[in-house]
Amino acid sequence: MFERSERTATLATAMVRLGLLAAFLLLAGRLYQLQILQSVTYQAQADANRFRFIEVAPPRGVIYDRNGEILARNRPSFVIAVVPAELSDDLIDTDVDEERLAIERILRALKADSDPEIALNLAEVMFLRLGRADFADVVTSAGVDLDYRLVTLQFVEKDGETERLVERPTLIPDLSKQLPLEGLVALVYRAVELGTQGSSFAAIPLLELVNRERAFDVAEEIFQLPGVKVQQIPVREYVHEELVSHTLGFLGPIPALAAEIYEAEGYRDPNEQVGLNGLEYTYQDELRGVPGQKYIEVDILGREMRTVGQVIEPLPGLNLRLSIDIRLQEVMYNALAATVEKVKSPHAVAIAMNPKTGAILGLVSLPSFDNNIFSEGIGPEYLALEADERKPLINYAIGGLYPPGSIFKLVTATAALAEGVIDPTSVIVDNGPIYLRNRFFPDDLSQAQKFVSWNHKLGIYHGRLTVVEALALSNDIFFYWLGGGFPDSLEGLGNERLAKWMNLFGYAGQTGIDLPGEVTSFPPDDQWKRINLAESWTTGDSYNMAIGQGYVLGTPLQVLVSTAAVANGGYVMKPQIVQEMIDAEGGLQWEFTPQVVRELPVSKSLLHYVQQGLWAVVNAPYGTAPNSRVAGVTVAGKTGTAEFCQWDPAIEDCAFRDKDDNLPFHAWYVAYAPFENPEIALVVFVYNGGEGSTVAAPVAQEVLNFYFNGPPPAEEDIQTATSE
Amino acid sequence: MLDRSLLRNFDLLLMVAVLALCGIGIAMVYSATNTTIDLADYWERQLFFMLVGLAVLLAVAFFDYRHLELLAQPAYAGLVGSLLLVYLFGAVQGGSQRWIGVGGTLVQPTEAGKFLLIIFFAWYLSRFQEQLQRFGYLLAALFLLAVPLTFVYLQPDLGMAITFAFIGGVLILVSGIRLWHIAILGMGGLAALPFLAGTLQGYMVERLQTFLDPSSNRDASFNVLQALISIGNGSWLGKGWGHGSQNQLHFLRVRHTDFIFSVIAEELGFVGTILILLLLFFVIWRLVRIADMAQDQFGRLLTMGVASIIFFQTFVNVGMNLSIMPVTGLTLPFISYGGSSLISMLLAVGLAQSVVMRHRKMDFQ
Repeated sequence: MFERSERTATLATAMVRLGLLAAFLLLAGRLYQLQILQSVTYQAQADANRFRFIEVAPPRGVIYDRNGEILARNRPSFVIAVVPAELSDDLIDTDVDEERLAIERILRALKADSDPEIALNLAEVMFLRLGRADFADVVTSAGVDLDYRLVTLQFVEKDGETERLVERPTLIPDLSKQLPLEGLVALVYRAVELGTQGSSFAAIPLLELVNRERAFDVAEEIFQLPGVKVQQIPVREYVHEELVSHTLGFLGPIPALAAEIYEAEGYRDPNEQVGLNGLEYTYQDELRGVPGQKYIEVDILGREMRTVGQVIEPLPGLNLRLSIDIRLQEVMYNALAATVEKVKSPHAVAIAMNPKTGAILGLVSLPSFDNNIFSEGIGPEYLALEADERKPLINYAIGGLYPPGSIFKLVTATAALAEGVIDPTSVIVDNGPIYLRNRFFPDDLSQAQKFVSWNHKLGIYHGRLTVVEALALSNDIFFYWLGGGFPDSLEGLGNERLAKWMNLFGYAGQTGIDLPGEVTSFPPDDQWKRINLAESWTTGDSYNMAIGQGYVLGTPLQVLVSTAAVANGGYVMKPQIVQEMIDAEGGLQWEFTPQVVRELPVSKSLLHYVQQGLWAVVNAPYGTAPNSRVAGVTVAGKTGTAEFCQWDPAIEDCAFRDKDDNLPFHAWYVAYAPFENPEIALVVFVYNGGEGSTVAAPVAQEVLNFYFNGPPPAEEDIQTATSE
Repeated sequence: MLDRSLLRNFDLLLMVAVLALCGIGIAMVYSATNTTIDLADYWERQLFFMLVGLAVLLAVAFFDYRHLELLAQPAYAGLVGSLLLVYLFGAVQGGSQRWIGVGGTLVQPTEAGKFLLIIFFAWYLSRFQEQLQRFGYLLAALFLLAVPLTFVYLQPDLGMAITFAFIGGVLILVSGIRLWHIAILGMGGLAALPFLAGTLQGYMVERLQTFLDPSSNRDASFNVLQALISIGNGSWLGKGWGHGSQNQLHFLRVRHTDFIFSVIAEELGFVGTILILLLLFFVIWRLVRIADMAQDQFGRLLTMGVASIIFFQTFVNVGMNLSIMPVTGLTLPFISYGGSSLISMLLAVGLAQSVVMRHRKMDFQ
């Protein structure tokens, strides 16, 4: 018995040795498999762990005005962020609450519990990160009461294949109220939780745009806290704020709707700031430059340890030099703003252009906005802007279509001369309103359509008129005849030729200015009216069209381009803002050459009579705009007072009617100077402003006066001058 | 005179291998921690632990292991008693009740418990060696093993429970029992498995799941994957000491303790890992040789116990690094950072030295 067990014992020892051998061979075999057979795969994975191609963002191009004044530049800003992976220790099984405590410690150190400014900033950043619904859920489930505001938001609605924007009233959390610490901790915790689903080493921003001193303070306070990072990012700064905001535009993160387009163009960071409006949008590629590339080694926290691979230096964005003169722009802005204030207009536009080159010298659309607020996050200013019913973000210079009124007469006059409807000496007599007999009841005068000229209301009949006088007096009867003709006396231009010349003058389509958001206009003609109104074109329509009313619509910029075409002797120019692109070393990379869109088919000698008419508007004793004369220079101009109907569904009628039930007017004025050799053409438009001659012309006068005579002497200088 | 004859039998080769392993361990702890400010002095601490451990080793070696027989029963009582105390009053940390407060610090009785278990079983199995082929005595041995094992399992500490089972199983097997008894026990064990599976704690199931299906728990399997990448990254000769990217850039976590083998694999390569494995298996082989040479059954079983601990930890730890074993907290003997781990390993070697120094009966009679 004993021997047998002795044997099993010896057997066991032998088994032990065999087992040891087997275990060793198993481990060694596995090591051979991992380290030798599969090492290529694992080495690749180890390299993928530590090597990163990172993009080095180039500095965005600076924007200058024509005199080298800075309009847009980059300013360093600071972001305080947390790295989720660094919040808790190195163990695999991390206790959940430990992270929450770490977040609370950080927020306390940042004074989010005591400093309302910090708390608001933090809530705002979290709101943008988490979105409306998640933000509200997280805060309320943390046991914190949340206030809401009702705003109108735009949604993308998918209707089968087509996507369209719909506006819907929506409740959003009120960010102007300070949240208690529990709410903020819950928000950051949620952001960290979501952040770790991607890479737990990507930093999550907590506070943005903390100024330099504040950032240093915070950096000192949080030095001991794990997981907190202070990062520096460039922020776009617009020096002149609301003065040139429509032209410059603004930056924002790539919009979700366009994410794929930007990605296809090689944008790797979905949150990269890109131009969303204005020149920032049009010249996005040039301003952005070319990102550099760096091959770096990182540790598990994504911290750059060293640069390994060859570096492609980022190519800085090109600097833009505009034709805008910021001083002129300021005068235009102030003059127009004062007028808007005086006549209580909802919006107004003033544009100045060199008529020979199309270079835009100034462009104002009111109301304006401070484009810096887009880089400052959703503050109270942003919310106010969003809520403003006048929609200040729209650039009305290119985004609004209005009846040009009498300004259009220069188109009608040019057309009539060029088409031979009249010659410069032709006379048409204004002896009161004209009646257009009803087509179906030609003998019943009570059913005839009555057409009056503005002067008839004042009891004045202008009598015999040539085209120059008619332009100067802005007589409507004259132009009715040109547009629709008069039975047995004159064959008018008619719809077809009016539409053709409207096209020629640039009222159709777009002007091609280097700004986004330009609306497209369609000249009304017989076909247009049949399609849109299911009616045929009448002589009355031609009458109205001839004086820039009825179906004629144009943007203020189109009106300016047509004026410039008269001023420069018949060339429709492409308006252009950016004149030069300059690289970081100061080298000229691109220069704009003026582009003639088309030459009007009218002889210089005939066009001269239209120019004469515009000269007479300002300079003849009977002209409608003597108040736009400027000392030392000859100005030509044209007033416009355009009747309009802004349909108000609430009253089922046009808004702004006066006490006699008359329709309201837009005030228009176009001008150019010097008459002999024009350098500047100008349009002033005041929505619901009233008389063009009294409301719009003085603005133009002030601008032209500054342009030719410089700033008026300050009051002190006058006083010293008199006392001497 | 006695000292000289003792010294003559001191296993110098074993000692050299152990010292080499400790030295490599310190070097690798340095490499794994020098880039982390908080841990930068760990290699110095490990050096200190080694010196303490060596003192313990020598002290134990010169102590006659046969005196331990007297301690066998109190050792068992102490083991079961302390486990009972932990069960009743122990502190809970990380979801399991493994620690007991002694004078303000938390002590984990199971660390020392391994040794108490070996001493007791070496005594019991040698004392009743002749009776063991009777099934009753075998069952009694199994019962005595089952008591502390159950407590450890309930803490819950699956890794330590399996360690206990492994040590006890090896000792019972090598003490010589009948083959058909083994067969019966084996079948009984298999029959009991489904019932045991029902008692697995949540975290145990999770770890097994992670092992069987790494995608089920990305966070935990992350480190297992990083370990594989580190090992594969090493290739033949490794990236060089202090130059493993997985290690130096901290992609590998818990790298100075549980995953130090992956650090070695990355920095010293296949050559290095095979050398380490050879050294470790040489130590175990040498311990088995001592067991064979032992003058009595108690010494033989004591040494086999020591060998089984070192083997089990080596196999489980390296296996975990190589993804052929699930993740447990077992350290790599002599190499992983940690005072209690290193000192207890050196103490274990000291026990074996004590046995081999006294293996010739003639010297003492």
